[in-house]
Amino acid sequence: MRPWDWVVLVITVVAIVAYGLWKSRDSNTTDKYLRAGKSMPWYAMALSIMATQASAITFISTTGQGYVDGMRFVQFYFGLPIAMVILSMTAVPIFHKANVYTAYEYLENRFDAKTRTLVSIIFLIQRGLAVGLALSAPAIVLTVILGWPDEWTTIAMGIVVVGYTVLGGVQAVTWTDFQQMLIMMAGLAATLAMAIWLLPDNIGLTGALTVAGAAGKLNPVTTAFSWNDRYNLWSGLFGGTFLALSYFGCDQSQVQRYLTGSSIAQSRLSLLFNAVAKIPMQFLILLTGAVVFAFFTFVQAPILFQREDMANLRKDPKYGVLQQTYDRAFTERRDAAERLTAGDESAKAAYVQSQQKIDQVRKEASAITKSNDTNYVFLHFVTHYLPEGIVGIIIAAILAAAMSTISGEINSLATVSVIDIYKRVSSAGTDAHYLLVSRLATAFWGVYAVVTARFAKNMGSLVEAVNLLGSFFYGGILGVFALAMYFPSVNATGAFVGVLVGEAVIFALHFTGATSFLWYNVIGCVVVIVTGVAVSSVTHTRTN
Amino acid sequence: MSHEDPPPFLGTWPRLYVAVLIYLVILIGVFHAFTRAWR
Repeated sequence: MRPWDWVVLVITVVAIVAYGLWKSRDSNTTDKYLRAGKSMPWYAMALSIMATQASAITFISTTGQGYVDGMRFVQFYFGLPIAMVILSMTAVPIFHKANVYTAYEYLENRFDAKTRTLVSIIFLIQRGLAVGLALSAPAIVLTVILGWPDEWTTIAMGIVVVGYTVLGGVQAVTWTDFQQMLIMMAGLAATLAMAIWLLPDNIGLTGALTVAGAAGKLNPVTTAFSWNDRYNLWSGLFGGTFLALSYFGCDQSQVQRYLTGSSIAQSRLSLLFNAVAKIPMQFLILLTGAVVFAFFTFVQAPILFQREDMANLRKDPKYGVLQQTYDRAFTERRDAAERLTAGDESAKAAYVQSQQKIDQVRKEASAITKSNDTNYVFLHFVTHYLPEGIVGIIIAAILAAAMSTISGEINSLATVSVIDIYKRVSSAGTDAHYLLVSRLATAFWGVYAVVTARFAKNMGSLVEAVNLLGSFFYGGILGVFALAMYFPSVNATGAFVGVLVGEAVIFALHFTGATSFLWYNVIGCVVVIVTGVAVSSVTHTRTN
Repeated sequence: MSHEDPPPFLGTWPRLYVAVLIYLVILIGVFHAFTRAWR
């Protein structure tokens, strides 16, 4: 980090936090603190929804995913527009008319207190685990750039985010998200533009696409079906729809964003904006990863991108042989790529062969160091090749992404803790009392996030870890909401037993390795519905 | 805006929903063509 990078970074972070706190200066009631007094316009909610989902992991890990695995990950989002339409038609009017603070309040209206409590606790466990992952990603950024220990970077990030979330509540979260999303878009555009600009003169974007395409990186649609293939058109459309329905319809960290809307129409528009904008955004992020791959076809990268892992590799007896093989394969690949971009199709076989050698060397190096450096590809590119000032914008964008996700998550965790758990136990307090408890709960979850982030660093590709974690619980939660909204004959016992059986099946699927995690949502949801309907038909007591 | 206000585009909500789904189909088609072009 050079002086202008620091200037850009510090001004951006201070301005965003100050703006959020200024916009939320009237958060002096529980309703305003947790629901913004239902006053938010659609564009603020739309960018807040997008920013909450687009964490630092999106920048760091998704670009790495594009580099390592190609663009097929974008199919994961194909179900999102379908889910947004379904939610706009059903969940949005239901939640608005029920005038709830959390999605889980609706479950008590429809079923009973124990179902609401069970689903609230599942949310607290799942989102509580994910918030640590979300905080660990920016800690990786700061550690790589500043060389500070993980503990310091995690605590520094935690203090900033928890500070403005405790003070300003959901209004501070939404308005900072709004600004943070704009910074993210600027950072994304700057990165892609710079990645293209830095390509050798005779290569250009077309040459980069030729090289990345020949390596199998430009594959945003793969139609071959397999139950164990994580990302293809079918798992994206079906599994992705169920996952997006669960995340945007049943996860309080997202539901809370559009519950702040001033009307059903405003909330619907915020979701439909995401339906249109999300996939192109992910496409551009993955394309950036693919262009970075093309860049490193002509400029030699280290075997491993993480500095510490590379240092450890150098100490290994096998390092000399690996480095020699890597150097030779790089030269062969670069020569073949130059012929390929000049129109010589016969160079493709040599190019693919040398690429396989490089992949094999990286695989062996990762096995030696017991590391996964997918998350470090993008950071290595940014910090080693981009000019002063631009690095500051991109680091600001990554930190903005991180702050938006963490603030939304701890805000929603606090809301569920207070509304669905605490207020049920202690219902006689004044509004000022619940406002104070909400602030304390926000602070508690912030501290919890800082502590758990310490354990999340070595979980492989963070973006996959987060999605895998969500898939353990989303199918069950979606199933119970589907029962509540679309199966009027199902009673509370059926819903409760359905959730328990659904979760048991999902965990059984995971531990037997029967299918890819995207299908957990579909299968879990179906099991909950079938069990709920069956148990209700046996017990015959409809609860309404 | 009242609770049942129409959307700012296309007149009714169902039309807007259909437009979003058509957009998805076009997007997948474009991505498929992109995949084939650079394979």
